[in-house]
Amino acid sequence: MTGSGSPHPWLGPDEAAPVALTVNGTALEVRVPPRRTLADALRDAGCTSVRLGCEHGVCGTCTILLDGSAVRSCLMLAVQGQGHHIETVESLAGGDGLGPLQQAFDDNDALQCGFCTPGFLMLIESLMRSEPGAGEERVREVVSSNLCRCTGGGPVVAAAQQALASNRDGR
Amino acid sequence: MKPAPFAYAAAGTLDEAVELLGEAGEDAKLLAGGQSLLPLLSFRLARPSHIVDIGAVEDLDSIHEDHGQLRVGALVRHATLEQADLHGPWRALKEAASLIGHLPIRVRGTLGGSLAHADPAGELGVVAAALDAEIVLRSVRGLRTVPAGAFFLAPLMTAADADEVLVEARFPAPGDGFRSVFEEFSPRAGDFAYASVAAGCRMADDGSAHDVRLALGSVGPTPLRAREAEEALSGSMLDDAAIVEGARLAAAGCDPAAGDWHAGGEYRRALVANLVERALRRLRQPA
Amino acid sequence: MSGPRSRLIGSPEPRRKNRELLRGEGTYVADIRLEGQLHARVVRSPAAHGRLLGVDTSEALGIPGVVAALTAADIDDIRIPIRLPFAESPEANRVLQAPLATDVVRYVGEPVAVVVADDPYAAEDAAEHVLVDIDELEPVLDLAASSESSQPLVHEHFGSNTVNRLAYRYGDAAAVFEQADVVVHRRLRVHRLAAAPMETRGLVADFDPASGVLTVWGGAKVKHFTRGLLSTVLGLEPTDVRVIEVEVGGGFGTRGEPYPEDILVALLAQRLQRPVQWIEDRWEHMVATNHAREQEHDIEMAADRDGRLLGFRVRGWCDHGAYVRTQGLLPAVLPMFHLPGPYQWQAFSMDLDAVLTNRTPVGTYRGPGMTEATFIRERMVDLVAAELQMDPVQLRRRNLIAEESMPFTFMPGPGSGAVMPIMYQGGDFPAAFDELLDAAGYDQLRDWRREARSGGRHAGVGVSAYIEFAAVGPFEDVDIVGDDQGVVIKAAVGSLGQGIETALAQIAAELLDVPLDDVAVEFHDTAELPQGFGAFASRSTVLAGNAIAAAVDEMRAKAAHLLGCAPGEVEFRGGVATGGDRGSVRLAEIGPTRGRFEKEGLTASFGGAVCSVSVDPADGRVRVHRFALAHDVGRAVNPRLLRGQLAGAAAQGIGGALFEELAFDGNGQPLSVTLADYMMPTAAELPDVEVAIIEHGSGSNPLGIKGGGEAGMVGSFGAVANGVADAVGEGAEVLSSSVSPARIWHALNDPSEPAGTGKPAQEA
Repeated sequence: MTGSGSPHPWLGPDEAAPVALTVNGTALEVRVPPRRTLADALRDAGCTSVRLGCEHGVCGTCTILLDGSAVRSCLMLAVQGQGHHIETVESLAGGDGLGPLQQAFDDNDALQCGFCTPGFLMLIESLMRSEPGAGEERVREVVSSNLCRCTGGGPVVAAAQQALASNRDGR
Repeated sequence: MKPAPFAYAAAGTLDEAVELLGEAGEDAKLLAGGQSLLPLLSFRLARPSHIVDIGAVEDLDSIHEDHGQLRVGALVRHATLEQADLHGPWRALKEAASLIGHLPIRVRGTLGGSLAHADPAGELGVVAAALDAEIVLRSVRGLRTVPAGAFFLAPLMTAADADEVLVEARFPAPGDGFRSVFEEFSPRAGDFAYASVAAGCRMADDGSAHDVRLALGSVGPTPLRAREAEEALSGSMLDDAAIVEGARLAAAGCDPAAGDWHAGGEYRRALVANLVERALRRLRQPA
Repeated sequence: MSGPRSRLIGSPEPRRKNRELLRGEGTYVADIRLEGQLHARVVRSPAAHGRLLGVDTSEALGIPGVVAALTAADIDDIRIPIRLPFAESPEANRVLQAPLATDVVRYVGEPVAVVVADDPYAAEDAAEHVLVDIDELEPVLDLAASSESSQPLVHEHFGSNTVNRLAYRYGDAAAVFEQADVVVHRRLRVHRLAAAPMETRGLVADFDPASGVLTVWGGAKVKHFTRGLLSTVLGLEPTDVRVIEVEVGGGFGTRGEPYPEDILVALLAQRLQRPVQWIEDRWEHMVATNHAREQEHDIEMAADRDGRLLGFRVRGWCDHGAYVRTQGLLPAVLPMFHLPGPYQWQAFSMDLDAVLTNRTPVGTYRGPGMTEATFIRERMVDLVAAELQMDPVQLRRRNLIAEESMPFTFMPGPGSGAVMPIMYQGGDFPAAFDELLDAAGYDQLRDWRREARSGGRHAGVGVSAYIEFAAVGPFEDVDIVGDDQGVVIKAAVGSLGQGIETALAQIAAELLDVPLDDVAVEFHDTAELPQGFGAFASRSTVLAGNAIAAAVDEMRAKAAHLLGCAPGEVEFRGGVATGGDRGSVRLAEIGPTRGRFEKEGLTASFGGAVCSVSVDPADGRVRVHRFALAHDVGRAVNPRLLRGQLAGAAAQGIGGALFEELAFDGNGQPLSVTLADYMMPTAAELPDVEVAIIEHGSGSNPLGIKGGGEAGMVGSFGAVANGVADAVGEGAEVLSSSVSPARIWHALNDPSEPAGTGKPAQEA
C-alpha cells in the first residue's frame, strides 16, 4: 500500500511521522499519521483554543494564522504544516491580560458563549496586519467569513472597527 | 467527521510529483491548497488510497503575461489572483477569485485545485471556459494541453488522467480592446453561487461588440458557453434590446435541469438572465 | 436603612468570564482529556423508516484500536422520559425514544449502535464497519396528511400518527364568525429549523469503581434531571452521579437536554470502567439534535368593519418528528398558548395536533412555539388589515388588551382539553407598543418606504406584536455561603453563554451590599449544588434571582436570631450583618443559608418587532435594513447583557427567516447536513438590531423580573414576513415563515412551484 520498492518517502496510512511546526514562536514537533487534520493535531498538542464547529471549512471557529494569514485549520492536514509558523489566540496577549483587539471585543460585547471567539480574533488579527486601513464594508465582508450564533456578528464588526481605528491612531 | 486513512507523500519538485502520482495508481489524489479536497475527505466522500502533496512544489505559483497570453500557475492562490494587477481582458479572473468562498479559503485555495475539482459552481472554471483557457497537464509521459471546453466533463470529473498534474492555465491573447467581467448570485456572502456568468467582448471603436463570450456556472454539469447568445450579441451595439435578447438566449440555452432544493431550475434560469444582463451592461460601459 | 446602597440591579455590568474566553482559556467538553480516555462514535440509521433486521458489530470490533460496541441487544429496554409534567400525556409516553433502535428505525440519524475506540479517527473507521441491515418502509413526511389512513404508521403499536389533539375554546367562535364583516382564511406554514449552536453536543463520562461515582461532564441546561435519569438507568444512587457543567458553546434550547447519547456514553463508561468521550460532529448534529418549529396551520380570522378583531379558528399540525423527546408535547402546547397573543379576542377555537413523522424528533428552540404562533397570528392580522384597507399598526393598536383589563384571562371554555388558562398578569400593552414604534422610528420607516417605492424599489415595513410566556417553575433553590473572600451563590440553573453568573452576582451583591467582585456564583457541579431544574424557558434569572432574595431574607432572620434583634433591624453591608445596637455578625458566621423561590404558572411579557425590508424581484433576495424590537423584561437586572441576548436572538430569527431551513427529500433523507446547506446568517446579511427594554414590572415575583433570553426571537418571523409581504404587495402572497430568495422568486414569478409554499423542498 505504501508503494513498496518506491524510492519515494511514502508515509503509510496509519504511520505517524514527525511534523515540525512553530506555534506562537515556539518550536513544536507533533507526531501524526497523514490523515490527521492540523486542527486536531493542534488540539491534541494542547492548543484547545482552536475549536471545531463544523470540520468542513464553513464556520471558521478553527481559524488560525498560518505564516501570518488567516486559514481554517480543519481544512489542512497536519503534515501540510511542516515548517510553517502558526499563531493562535494565545499569541494575542502576554501575562493574564487582554490585547487591544481582545479588549475591543470586550468593549463591544462581541462575544457571548465564547466558542467562536478565538477564530474571530485570529481572522481580524490577520486583517489588521494585511489591511490596516480596511473600511467598514471590507471589515464586514471579512467578518462574514466566520459564524457567530450568539451575536450574529454585528458586534464583532464594531469590535474590529474599534481595533483597526485604535491601531491607526497608535501608529 | 474525520478523513479515512490514506498514504501520503510530499513532492519537492514537479518531476517528483508526477513520479509519485504515477506510482500511486488510479485512486490517488493531488493535494494543493486542500480547500475542496479536505471537506470531501472529512465527509469521507473522497477516499483516496494515496495523496500526493504538491503544496511545496516550486515554480507553479506565478502569474505572468507571455506574448499577450496570460499564464497562471496551478499553485496561484485565489487571494493572490484577487490582489493581482489584472485589468481589461483579465478582469473577470480577478473578480471571480474575489468571490470564491471567504478570505481564509482564498488564502489557501489554488487555481489548479479549483479547476481540477471541477465543481460546476467553481468560479474559475467559468472564467476559464469564457476565455478559452488551455489547461496544461503534466505526467511522466510529458506535457499536453486541453482546451477548457474539453477539460470539464461532468461534476467533479475532468479530462485529466489519474497520473496527470494540472500545472498551469493559459489564457490566450485576446484582441485589442477585449474586456471581461464576472457576476454571480449567492444567497449569503461566500456561498456557492446559484448561478454565475463570466462575460467578455472586444469593443470596436464604433461601439459595437465583437468576439462576445458568455460562460455560465452552476446551471449545468460543467461550465457552459452560451453560444447562441454570443452569436446574437456579436456585432451588436449592446443596446438594451440586444442585451435583453442575449440574456433570454443565455437563459434558454443553459441546462440547470431541476436545480436542487436550494434553487430550482426555473429560478436558476431567471438568475442567469439577470446576471447576463448585468454583466453585459458593465461591458458596454467605457473602460 | 441608612447610607447609600450599591445599585447593582439594573447596572450594565460587564459580563464575567469575558477575559478567560477572549484568551481562549475556556474549557469546553471537547477540551477535556482524561487519562485513558476512549472515544465513542454512534452508528446511525441511514434510512428514514425501515425494519431493522440486524446490526452486526463483529467486523468493527476487529478494527485496530476498537474496544467495544453496543447494540440494543446489549442494553436494557428503556425509554428516555419526558421531563416536564405539564408536557406529558399517556399517549406521548407510548412513543418515547430508546437509546438505541430495536426493531424499527424511524428517522435518518437514529442511533442503532455505538462503537468505542482509543482514537476518534479509529472510532469513525469502526462505525463504518458496523453492518446495519434495514428493510426500508415508506416514510411519513407530510404533516397534514399524516393522519390519513393511506399513510404508514411511524409507530405501529401506537396505531396513529397523531399523538394527541390539543383543544382550547374561548367564547363562542361560531357566533363571532357569523356576525363578522370580514373573514380571512389561509393555510400558513412554519419551516423546519435547527438551533445549531457553534459548539455541537458532547459528553465525557467517567466511572470510578472504587467510589462507585459516575461523573459526567458537558450536560448543561437540566443537570439535575440528567443526574436523576442516569442514576435510574445505571442503577446508582442519585448522589453517586455527578453532572458537571463546563463552558457551553451556545445552548438555545436544544443543547443539554438528555438525549440517547447521554445514556450510551454513561453506560459505556460504567461498563468499560474507563473515561469515554463523545463529541458530536456537525453532520450528526444536523440529524441527531432536536429539530424545531415545523408546523402547518389552517386558520381563519374574523373582524368587523370598524377594525375590531373578533376571533379566530385554527386547525394546526405540529411536527414532533419520529419520537416524543424530553420536552414532551411542548412543540404543540406552546404554539397553543401563544396563538391568542396580546389582542382582546371575543372568541377563538384552537385544535392542534401533535404529529409524528419519520424525521429527527422536534424539541424546543429559543422562543419555542411562540415564534411560530406569532408568525401565524401576525401574518393573519396583516391580511385582515389589508382586507379592511386599514393600517396594520392601527389595527393592532385598536385591539391590544388595555391596561385596565389586567390581569386578563382567556378562560378555557366547554370543549377545551385539560389546559391551563391563558393568563396575563399585567403590563400596559398599548404603551409598550408605542415604545416599540418610537424605538423603531416607525414614521421615518414609512417615509423611507415611500421614497424607496417612488424610486422603483420594492420596499416594505413589517410589524409584529406578541406575548411571551416564560419563567416556568416549579421552584429553584439557592444556597448563600459566606466566607473570608465574600459570598458564594450556589444555584442549579445553568450557563449557556447568556451571562447568568453576572446577573445573579449583581442581585446578591445589591441585596447583601457587598462589592460585586466579592460574589462568586457556582452552578457547575451537581455534587455541590442544591436541587434545581435548569436553564430553559427564560427562567434562570427570574427563579434563581428570587431564590437569592429568599435566601437573603432567611439570612436576615438567622442574623436577627443570633443578634437578638428584629429581622427588620438587620442591615447587611460589606460581608457583615448589623442589628442596630446589638452588634454585628459576619456572614461567614451565619452559615450556609438556603432560599427557595416557588413559582406557579408562567409569566407573560409583551413585546414586538418592526423591520424595514426590500425585495429584489429579479432574484428574490430580501434585505432587512433595520430591525427594532421592544420587550417587557419587568425589571432589567443587567441591561447590557439583556441587549446582547435580545439582539442576538433577533439575529438568529432574521437568519432563520431569510436563509435557514432543514429540508428533506421525498424519501426522508435530510438535505441540510452541512453548514454550506444549513445557511446561518453572517454579519454581511444582518442589520444592526435596535433594542428597547421595557420595564413594566411584574406582580408575580418579588424582584419584578420577567424572562428575556429568548424574546428577541419571538417577533422576528412575523415582522420579517409582514415586511416582505408589504414590499411585494399584490405581487405575491407570503404564506411561509421562510422568505428565502428561491421562495420569494417563486412566489413572485411561478407560484405553482413548491418553493414558496413552505413545503419541504423535494430534491430533483
